[in-house]
Amino acid sequence: MTDRIMSCTEALAEALAEEMKRDETIFIIGEDLTAHDGIFGQFKGLHQGFPGRIIDTPISETAIVGAGLGAALTGMRPLVDLHFADFFTTAMDEIANQTAKIRYMFGGQVKIPMVIWAPDGGGLSAAAQHSQSLEGWFVHTPGLKIVVPSEPADVKGLIKTAVREDDPVIFFQHKKLFAQTGPVPEEEYLIPLGKGDIKREGSDITLITYSKMTYLSLEASEQLGGEGIDVEVIDLRTLKPLDFDLIAGSVKKTNNVLIVHEACLTGGFGGEIAAKIGEELFDYLDAPVTRIGARDVPIPFSPIMENFVLPQVNDIINGVKKVLNR
Amino acid sequence: MIEITIPKLGLTMESAKLVRWEFSSGDEVKEGEILLVIETDKVSFEVTAPADGIIHPVALEGSTCEVEETVGYLSGDREEYEQIIKEHPPAAIETPQKVEAAESGAVPPPTAAVPSPAGPGGRIKSSPLARFMAAEHGLDLTTISGSGPGGRIVKADMVRVLEEGPAFPGKRAAGLPYTAADAMAKEPLESIPIQGVRRVIFDNMYQSLSQSAQLTLHTEACAESIVALRERLREKDQGISYNAILMKITAAALRLHPKINASVDGDTIHVWRQIHMGLAMEANDALIVPVVRNPDLKTISEINHDIVDLINRTRDNKLSPDDLTNGTFTISNLGFADIDFFTPIIRPPESAILGVGRIVQKPVVKNEAIVPEQRIGLSLTFDHRIIDGAPGARFLKTVKDMIEDPVLMIS
Repeated sequence: MTDRIMSCTEALAEALAEEMKRDETIFIIGEDLTAHDGIFGQFKGLHQGFPGRIIDTPISETAIVGAGLGAALTGMRPLVDLHFADFFTTAMDEIANQTAKIRYMFGGQVKIPMVIWAPDGGGLSAAAQHSQSLEGWFVHTPGLKIVVPSEPADVKGLIKTAVREDDPVIFFQHKKLFAQTGPVPEEEYLIPLGKGDIKREGSDITLITYSKMTYLSLEASEQLGGEGIDVEVIDLRTLKPLDFDLIAGSVKKTNNVLIVHEACLTGGFGGEIAAKIGEELFDYLDAPVTRIGARDVPIPFSPIMENFVLPQVNDIINGVKKVLNR
Repeated sequence: MIEITIPKLGLTMESAKLVRWEFSSGDEVKEGEILLVIETDKVSFEVTAPADGIIHPVALEGSTCEVEETVGYLSGDREEYEQIIKEHPPAAIETPQKVEAAESGAVPPPTAAVPSPAGPGGRIKSSPLARFMAAEHGLDLTTISGSGPGGRIVKADMVRVLEEGPAFPGKRAAGLPYTAADAMAKEPLESIPIQGVRRVIFDNMYQSLSQSAQLTLHTEACAESIVALRERLREKDQGISYNAILMKITAAALRLHPKINASVDGDTIHVWRQIHMGLAMEANDALIVPVVRNPDLKTISEINHDIVDLINRTRDNKLSPDDLTNGTFTISNLGFADIDFFTPIIRPPESAILGVGRIVQKPVVKNEAIVPEQRIGLSLTFDHRIIDGAPGARFLKTVKDMIEDPVLMIS
């Protein structure tokens, strides 16, 4: 089988088209879906291909998520387009108190086969209210599954799994990665939730990352390779469930860990990974587990300031050298 | 809460290396107790507790700290201490130099292997993996030197030891044969990094001998007069050292031979207006040369007072960099070890140094008879690039004459 080169947006649209064709209960609900194919063109061709199953809504995330939840309770498989992950705040009760807990509250008598699709991340000069990485809020809410893919093939394989899940999935996609291209297999495939991927094999240090930081980590690894530092890069792909077996195998090999995420450092998911490694892999560590994340400030509009706040390739290179004392 | 900061020990001091903490976080300290030891490129210095309290160090041992930088906190009570450790977790942040090096594209050199520093309480820094490997292979971590940050023993050190065998083998198990290989073994008992004060001495001595043309002249003087002088001053209830007398004499001689009191600066010879005379001392296994200012303008007793003060502060690690700079001439006295003559090394940018030997009774010929006399050995090293043999010899002769007849100082 030959792989095709596709963007993340194309991979997403293709995956959804395949799934919507396979399962008539799948529909997409959100803002600007038919007029603009979604704000980032991510649903291109779907409203023509599946008339009536792409539903435009008024500007109310509370209503959009609430409607999706209601539909899911009746047996439909909604994909809720949140427009920007930053808009989670206005639908927080629907997500944290209802979507995440209803199956538990009803003693398992209902399922919530809903995907909330949320573009996140900075680097676009979209300012503080349109640039956040909020996955940390939701890993801290039991009842939700969290997907944070990087490359197009993963987007396709994971969204197909997500829409087939019977539990709510929050599917983050980094805005800067929509145009990112990569090989996507021709044949049908699914990627299970809770399986990370080693994007680069190495022996000196394990770089644990996800989403856009995967690409920055790979770039840093290439440069470090030129200095004789052999970096292994793990793309977690899903934060919940977490592929800790993959992490453990790698850490046992390299004995050194750097965690990189774009979300701000304090309270970020990196702290959770670091703690778990400390608890379970203590005897394998040769240096303190170290984290890199954004500075603890709102993301600035100015590109120069935004670059200063968000982790850059050089920060990762310096972080690796710090861990390795090089 | 009191912030513990790096003191400014001299006008030119900008930073210091934090050598070690004497206490761990949470320890109770008393006012005046030594909290930490810092080291500039010239001196090491003990920072004492300004008050009773509970100490919380934040700066790492081995890190370079700016003057006035806060390196720790002293809290009045446990409650305040708990608050402080919340606000100021112990530093584990990259040092500024390392960031600079990384930004400039230069790869910072790996930390030199140093014997593993046992912190307060004898704790050895080692990574969890290193401890696991040590347990697995039955190795003693105290015998392994760490190459990680702050001397932490890391995997690389364990791999090295496992491949080479421990650097400091323990006692030979009873009954094991003493092999030919054992007889041929040459192993370091201790590997001491050349750094700090030792690095300064190391570089200065080499620079001195490699960049000037040094010549040493020896002579011997009758010491009866200065022995008597010292006795007379002692009778007046002044404990005076020979060093104070010799410094006064040498300063007076320099006034008569100003060109000895000079430095080479590029294509120029600076003949100094002032005389500032260093006195070589030994402190903590290192040569240190604090400077007495203007001994030519001071009385012997004032010079003696200055020397005693410098000796005390050298012993207490309380010298400031300003005590060590701007010398124009140096005296080095090895008489305490029964040395008569030696070839002292000039301290650049100075151009001469007087080596002083012991004062001892020797037989001398006077009026065709052999008589006992107190004698003192003198060795003058000078830079022949700017001081010729004859003027150097004349200066030493003046010193000798003044030792034999101190009245010449005021003639």
